[in-house]
Amino acid sequence: MNYKPDEGTLISYLYGELSADEAAKVQAYLQANPEELKKWQALSNTKEVMAHVQDKEVIAPPIFMDDTKVVSFWNNNYFKTVMSIAASVLFLMVAGKLLGTEINYQQGELKISFGGKKVQIENPAQPMLTEDKVQEMIQSSLAKNNEVITAGWTEDQKRLSQSIRKNLDQNSRKIDELMKTASDASQEQVRGFVASLQNDNLKLMKDYFQLSAADQKKYTESLLVDFSEYLKEQRKQDLMILQTRVNSIEKNTDQFKQETEQILANIISTPMNKNNRNSY
Amino acid sequence: MAETLLDIAMMHSDSLIARAREGDKTAQSKLVQLWYKRIYNFGYKFFYDHDLAMEVAQKTFISMHKNIAGLQEVTRFKSWLYTIAVNYCREEARKRKTNRAISLNDLKPGEGEESYRWEESHQRRENPERQLRQSELSDLLQSCLMELSAEQREVVIMKEYEGLKFREIAETLGISENTVKSRMYYGLEGLKKILEQKKITKETIGYEL
Repeated sequence: MNYKPDEGTLISYLYGELSADEAAKVQAYLQANPEELKKWQALSNTKEVMAHVQDKEVIAPPIFMDDTKVVSFWNNNYFKTVMSIAASVLFLMVAGKLLGTEINYQQGELKISFGGKKVQIENPAQPMLTEDKVQEMIQSSLAKNNEVITAGWTEDQKRLSQSIRKNLDQNSRKIDELMKTASDASQEQVRGFVASLQNDNLKLMKDYFQLSAADQKKYTESLLVDFSEYLKEQRKQDLMILQTRVNSIEKNTDQFKQETEQILANIISTPMNKNNRNSY
Repeated sequence: MAETLLDIAMMHSDSLIARAREGDKTAQSKLVQLWYKRIYNFGYKFFYDHDLAMEVAQKTFISMHKNIAGLQEVTRFKSWLYTIAVNYCREEARKRKTNRAISLNDLKPGEGEESYRWEESHQRRENPERQLRQSELSDLLQSCLMELSAEQREVVIMKEYEGLKFREIAETLGISENTVKSRMYYGLEGLKKILEQKKITKETIGYEL
């Protein structure tokens, strides 16, 4: 028997989704192959165990959905915008009526008036004026203007030159006065300055000498003291040296004495012994 | 799975679907009432989470309401509805993947314990206790289901709990029937291993219940 069902067929058999013929084939195959039957039974057992998972009870919430909103003509956006424009225009018209607004456009002029009173603005522009006249008027006004300006300039120049002269005179006078006072004051000041300088110098010199003399005194005194102390010390040391020398001389003389005494004693003793021996 | 009146009504709801497709609000509302539990339970089994299941169910029915006019064939309503639900499930799963923070409320009590809660009692009593054990077993098996990959899980749920035919599942997921069967086969294989690891067998369940 060559028939061997695949995984798909086995799982379909498990869920009873095979035709009667195929189911019979699979059944025969499983009966003939106990190993495969065991495997299939394991799957069947798993299926049975997993069937114990219970459904959760839940109550469907009331769902109100109304997507197809019937937008009324009044709620239509287009209508709303048109109506708002119309309303604002109407408002302007009513306001204009109440304020008595009047708008006219005549002969290149736009007239807006409020309050119902017609204000007649006279046209300043003379239609009778020609280009030449305008030119003449401009030239005459320019000439007048030039005259006025030149007159103004000359007057200003005169005033300026006068004020400059005045200022110069005043300045020169002031400088002269200053120079005079400066020359007068300088001689006395120089004298005073020199005298004060001399006094200062004298004071300085005095102080310097006084200070230097006192310092020198102190220095020489300290020097003398130091020198006398040094001399004293030196003398002490000399005396000590002399004393030690005298002492050493004394010691030497004593030693010498003792040695001579010993020698003399030896000398004296030796002939006596010799004589004694000879007598024997 | 014993057929309830609701199931029968669902099976014979072609005229209802046709009316709903034409914009009948009452028919649409009735469809929601008929299918809400199924879609909620599909979402619940997919996520093992009440809030997410509610979210998916609500989104599915809002989408159904918006798009039912475009449904070509009335007979394909079931797979069409599950397609919407699966898409929302996948979307929510993606969101959850990106936002991995776990609320403390998500932790199930008794998780990680050696012995299972449904094994603790050895007294065979009827009703409340039996019901409790049954719901505990259901939770345990649900946690086993969560260990499957999302692809296998959605096929297993559709086949085992929603009772869709392999052809309908293939239509819903937009894949071949053979792929569906293959996923189902390996899904069951995987569940077998998970149950073995957790020492849950047909016999122990039979004894406990």
